[in-house]
Amino acid sequence: MLEIQNLTLHADGRSLIKDLSLVVPGDGITALIGPSGCGKTSVLKWMAGILPDAFQTHGTALLDGKPISLPHRGLCYQPQSDALFPWLTIAENAAMGLEIAGLPRRIALAQVTALFAPFGLAGCEAQFPAQLSGGMRQRAAFLRTIVQDSRLVLLDEPFSALDAVTRLRMQDWLLSRLSDRPRGVLLVTHDLHEATGIADRILVMAANPGRIIAEIDVPGQPGARTEAILADLRETLKTLLLEQTP
Amino acid sequence: MLQRTLPTLVLTACLLGGWEIYCRQSGVSPLILPAPTEVISALIRERSEIGRHAVSTLSVAALGFSLSVSFAVLTSILLHFKPWLRRGLMPLFVTSQTIPLVALAPLMILWFGFGMLPKVLLVVLVTFFPILLSLLSGYRQTPPAFRDLLASMGAGRWTIFRRATLPSARAAFLAGLRISATYAIVATIFAEYAGARRGLGIYILTAKNNFRADLVLSAVVVSATLTLALLGLIRLLDWLSARGPEARGNA
Ligand SMILES: Nc1ncnc2c1ncn2[C@@H]1O[C@H](COP(=O)(O)OP(=O)(O)OP(=O)(O)O)[C@@H](O)[C@H]1O
Ligand SMILES: [Mg+2]
Repeated sequence: MLEIQNLTLHADGRSLIKDLSLVVPGDGITALIGPSGCGKTSVLKWMAGILPDAFQTHGTALLDGKPISLPHRGLCYQPQSDALFPWLTIAENAAMGLEIAGLPRRIALAQVTALFAPFGLAGCEAQFPAQLSGGMRQRAAFLRTIVQDSRLVLLDEPFSALDAVTRLRMQDWLLSRLSDRPRGVLLVTHDLHEATGIADRILVMAANPGRIIAEIDVPGQPGARTEAILADLRETLKTLLLEQTP
Repeated sequence: MLQRTLPTLVLTACLLGGWEIYCRQSGVSPLILPAPTEVISALIRERSEIGRHAVSTLSVAALGFSLSVSFAVLTSILLHFKPWLRRGLMPLFVTSQTIPLVALAPLMILWFGFGMLPKVLLVVLVTFFPILLSLLSGYRQTPPAFRDLLASMGAGRWTIFRRATLPSARAAFLAGLRISATYAIVATIFAEYAGARRGLGIYILTAKNNFRADLVLSAVVVSATLTLALLGLIRLLDWLSARGPEARGNA
């Protein structure tokens, strides 16, 4: 379980995030939604330990109750772009996190290639990112994230660049990959259907300054929810988001 | 391959053909403008002499160029990690580029004699800056997301540099190499011209003093060939080191 306590981020003399606290459980998906520019990416970057020096930061991160310094092995971040290196093959890209963690290259490659088939990437090991479709690139990026065996993964709008059909497929796919290898997910998204469809909990952020204004538990298992409940939930979220837009 | 080089070949053939016809029709003295065929036959006749000088020029240029590349790579890394050093040194480097070659070459000879050193130094001085500049601008082209991703995995500054920054600068580096390679041979010849015992520069000087335009042009042909060979070598390096979309783009 990850706990963020009283996170405050300042940049250029204005406070972007103020006293933000949130909890991400050790399993299931927690969605983070909020208006554009409210600071979702900045919060994730802070958790990943890569916020630019231009920001002044205050706040604590606790992993299972213990304070941690960031970046931390227990948290694995996937940026808003897939950030696949064009000069590396898909296998080399996927193995990068393991190599950085100190695993010998050969072993890291063997570990990731074993996962290519379940990730729907069989045969792509030696291909380069430019040769893959958007959905496959996202799968490769997610493979790179998930093999690192961190406690939690931080996903910044992983499916926003995909077309509607591919996005639906990838959401199902994400759920089944997570049931293979359970872990906590913090998922930033703009898509209310995505949040209500696959998340177990939804955190709603407001802007200026960025803070959490609502925490909503989504009833029922993802995939087994009735459309009536989901529609109600989306209506609630929509009201919350629209209320705060000036 | 043939399709890409065909226009160049046709154009070159036309130019040479026109030159040849002009020389034969106009009756211009070969002392002033020898025909291409005369230049070639002079080149063949004098091949061992010109070859000896060419080897000397090539070794100076190659040594200077390799030193320059190594020095530029090391400097670029230093300047990348030490921004204050970059801010301090860049104006000096830029100023050094404004010194005319005609002033620099004789000074080098004056200070370091007629041996290899002043010529190698001149090549380094001329080729160093374009390579350094291309590397630094290549480093800046690294997508921030690549650096962020590695940092979030716990990679240190050096690992980030080696895995993201350096590969991102590949194309820019090769462009800088190509620009510098064309200067390398010319700078060597210039240095030899200012004073040397051997080399195409001194050969050209002697030929000019003897009113042998055909030999001057033969030496020019050789120097152009050397430069093209150097560029070919860089192209080969490019091809061998290319990965992913770059490799397919070059095929
Ligand atoms: N390096 C920086 N220095 C100062 N301000 C910054 C910097 N980077 C981002 N910001 C500011 O932080 C604010 C929030 O950006 P952030 O990317 O976190 O929002 P977001 O909620 O992820 O938006 P989106 O939904 O559009 O992705 C923006 O208004 C931006 O101006
Ligand atoms: Mg964002």
